[in-house]
Amino acid sequence: MHLNKVIALGKKIIRDTFGAGHVTFKEMFARFRKVLENHNKAIEIIADMGDKLGGDYIFDITYIRNAYAGLYDTLTESLASFDVLTQNRYPQLKDVLGRIDKEIRLLVYKNGDSARLIETKRNQSQLNGRRPYFYKGEFVLPYSALTWNMAHEAGGKNANLAELKNNVALDIPDAFAVTVNAYDEFMRHNKIDEMISALEEVKDMYPKAALDKIYTSILNGNIPSVLESALDKAIEMFRARYGDKCYLAVRSSAEAEDREFSFAGQFETVLNVPLESRAVQEAYKRVIASLFSDKATAYHQQLGIAVGSVKMAVGCVLMVDAAVSGVIYSTNPNGDAGTMIINSTWGLGTSVVEGHTDADFYLVRKGTEPAIISKRTGKKRSMIVGREGGGVTEIQSPAGMTWQSSLPAEQAMELAKQAMLIETYFRQPQDIEWAIDRDGKIFILQARPLRITAGDKESPKLSFSHEGTIVLMKAKGNVVKKGVGAGRVFIFKHADGLDKFSRGDVLVARNDSSDFIHVMPYASAIITDTGSLTSHMASLCREFRVPAFVNAGAATQVLKHGQEITVIVDDESMLTVYDGILREALEHERYSLAAMEDIYEYRKKRYVLRYISPLNLVDPLMERFTPEGCKTMHDILRFIHEKAVMELIDNAMNGLKGQAAMKLDLPIPAGIIVVDIGGGLDNTMNRAAGSDSVSFEHVVSIPLRAVLQGMMHPGAWHSEPVSLRVNDFLTSMMRLPDIAYGNDSNAVNNVAVVSREYLNLSLKFGYHFNMIDCYCSETARNNHIYFRFTGGATDMVKRSRRIEVISIILKEYGFNTKSKGDLIIGRIANMGRGDMEKILDSIGRLIAYTRQLDAVLHDDSKVERYARNFLEGIYEL
Amino acid sequence: MDKYKIMVIDDEKIVGDMAKLSLEQEGYDVETFLSGEAALERLREQKFDVVVTDLKMKGVDGMEILKTVKQLYPDVKVIMITAFANLDTAIEALRGDVHDFFPKPVKIKELKTSIKRALSNQV
Repeated sequence: MHLNKVIALGKKIIRDTFGAGHVTFKEMFARFRKVLENHNKAIEIIADMGDKLGGDYIFDITYIRNAYAGLYDTLTESLASFDVLTQNRYPQLKDVLGRIDKEIRLLVYKNGDSARLIETKRNQSQLNGRRPYFYKGEFVLPYSALTWNMAHEAGGKNANLAELKNNVALDIPDAFAVTVNAYDEFMRHNKIDEMISALEEVKDMYPKAALDKIYTSILNGNIPSVLESALDKAIEMFRARYGDKCYLAVRSSAEAEDREFSFAGQFETVLNVPLESRAVQEAYKRVIASLFSDKATAYHQQLGIAVGSVKMAVGCVLMVDAAVSGVIYSTNPNGDAGTMIINSTWGLGTSVVEGHTDADFYLVRKGTEPAIISKRTGKKRSMIVGREGGGVTEIQSPAGMTWQSSLPAEQAMELAKQAMLIETYFRQPQDIEWAIDRDGKIFILQARPLRITAGDKESPKLSFSHEGTIVLMKAKGNVVKKGVGAGRVFIFKHADGLDKFSRGDVLVARNDSSDFIHVMPYASAIITDTGSLTSHMASLCREFRVPAFVNAGAATQVLKHGQEITVIVDDESMLTVYDGILREALEHERYSLAAMEDIYEYRKKRYVLRYISPLNLVDPLMERFTPEGCKTMHDILRFIHEKAVMELIDNAMNGLKGQAAMKLDLPIPAGIIVVDIGGGLDNTMNRAAGSDSVSFEHVVSIPLRAVLQGMMHPGAWHSEPVSLRVNDFLTSMMRLPDIAYGNDSNAVNNVAVVSREYLNLSLKFGYHFNMIDCYCSETARNNHIYFRFTGGATDMVKRSRRIEVISIILKEYGFNTKSKGDLIIGRIANMGRGDMEKILDSIGRLIAYTRQLDAVLHDDSKVERYARNFLEGIYEL
Repeated sequence: MDKYKIMVIDDEKIVGDMAKLSLEQEGYDVETFLSGEAALERLREQKFDVVVTDLKMKGVDGMEILKTVKQLYPDVKVIMITAFANLDTAIEALRGDVHDFFPKPVKIKELKTSIKRALSNQV
């Protein structure tokens, strides 16, 4: 479906629905279900694409096109319903979807096989002048503002390094990116874009004179004032932060550099650039000019890429005052893949990168504790150092240093560990540049994929001896991502504990959760007792290639926290967990992964997933949870789902209008009236003629039944008032009506809007409010519970203590919570019906139990005690 | 013993590339072709043990490959893969004595099993 059509469809639906001027909650609810339905379909398509493109299937472009077309249609339909639901509150979503869609279409539908913005020579003339230009965005961006999929704006190298800097705890010098927008602006301003458009090949060659002219025009070009002021601002910020004695390394970061093509060593880097406007501008021009150098244009032609079609962003990275620098290949490209190579030399690393010096060398065995296999000290006659005032110079190595190793073993080991982190993070062997400053601190300067050709070697067979290995667990369940992983068991309790997660741990949890995103790139494997193949977590595991297995049964019980294990998730929906770390199994895994990645066509085709499956909007409470924050199709889905739920919550009370309300007679005086929007009450059952009340037996709404059952649980509801201390009593008096006696007066405030699967329950008891919004169906993915508790009659300290008790309890059930003062919000989602009902029952008990709880929370020590009591089923106050 | 020779024909490069990598891991000798024409030319000079071919291709298509293979080497097994999986083509292909028929995307493991079976049936 075309986007314009979608917009038209959306408008039509809005007209149809709102034309009459009034939307009933029932209608809203129908839209909500439509959103859910499409959401599920879309998530399934994304899961399927991840699966089919994961390396186990041979696929073709037709598959990608069909799958994507299905995804797009589903998403746009979902969006149309969503717009009705939210009365078009998020019009930006359409633009965001349009933008992502364009990116994907470029990848999927362009003629031939050329990658995204890299046009074949033949296409160039058609494309010149109408190159897609989406972001009229920033000229300069700090690394902290970059995300991985901003490679168009910031270039591949910047995006990679920023991703590392923002996500992995390594020391990476501060930096800012001068974007592709800046490049476009510069080229336009100096009319060089026209020169590029006019470039034409003569007998497969670009005329050298024309290329040279472009090259010099860039060097002599004027920096447009808008760009100048953006650069100056960044320079000022760096001066303020690091003083004016600092220098920058100004590096190339072309659009596709380090992503599709390596362009290794093709472009210029200017080192030791003073933090001054003029110097930075000159360096900037030198770097972008190098796009048109003889060397780089020849490389373009070898790859069949039109000169000018690749654009250049630039990275300005704070220089490390390097005593030692070098390069690591995180996987040995010509030998044992279980080893890595470290090169080092005195001073700046340029000589190592360009292979000019006889560097020191370490061959290291990879592992949790890396070990040196061999080392060699090179003859380092000269070294490159920064010059005072800018630039670099080559000097003789001081006496005694020529044959002295530049890298002590301990530092080599530390570097090896960091390199393994980076390789684990990117799931691919890496070519890493590093430096150690004069204080001995290690910095990572660059990380790019290391392309290894597997050659003719056959993969080692997975045939390690089972003798002496103990099988801890064998389970049938669902394979999210097959593979092998090993590490220490980390039993997940709740999201707060995740900061104790160490890299390489195996995450073992009761349910799957997208909360794992923060640790997922570092996890060796993930196992959950229950879970779904198409949850957010599952998509993320495929994206990060983390071996993962759900519905394993009792993994949280069988496996012990801290124990070392090897996890094998195989094809046959089987999980096997061995005691200890099985090195052979791991090596096999590394090999087969590297091999498929090796196929250029595969990498290129798979690239489309980058716009589809990653999830950036993990936490609805985060700042970036906005339409603009959506970078992928998955993000849009997530956003729609979350906001659709919120919309429902905000409007549930409207359900009252024009609906028949029934009083609910219960053994407890909860004073609830029920509004049924479809299938929540059994109307066939006998009721007293003309009666406007129903009893518990009439309730067939799954979530309401569960909550009520909890509220009526023996002992949970205290009918006797808890005695208040004098000051509480005074506080409560100040706040008017009595809190200690019956609740009948609350009847009007206590409303349940229900369908068979839906519940929105608002309860006011005295001075505090409970609110539950819940969808509880057979499809785990659709299900959510949103619980809010606020207020109270006692003083703020006690009310906060009550919030703390609730917080402990909710976390124990797996809720993601946020609290402030006397307000707490808990959310949980993606859980099977059975588990949902259990939790809802507990929430019912919690609602009953906490009614007067604050009154007894005289000091902080009571908090833990009452929380424990509740969890153990002791409800006395 | 010499390695078994497998021919893979598909007008999309990725199919041949992925098939080649996975089948070479099994120890086969794999040659890939981007067009039916080139494949036929090669077939006339070299016998392969198994031919894996796309059904729908411009020019010489999978059915024609199948026919030629059966003419030249009646004992050679042909495995058909296609993006346009529908019953009619499958039936037509099966009638033409095709060893196996897979819709794309094809699971590599299943393709390997099918090839193994094709080879073990050969004398």
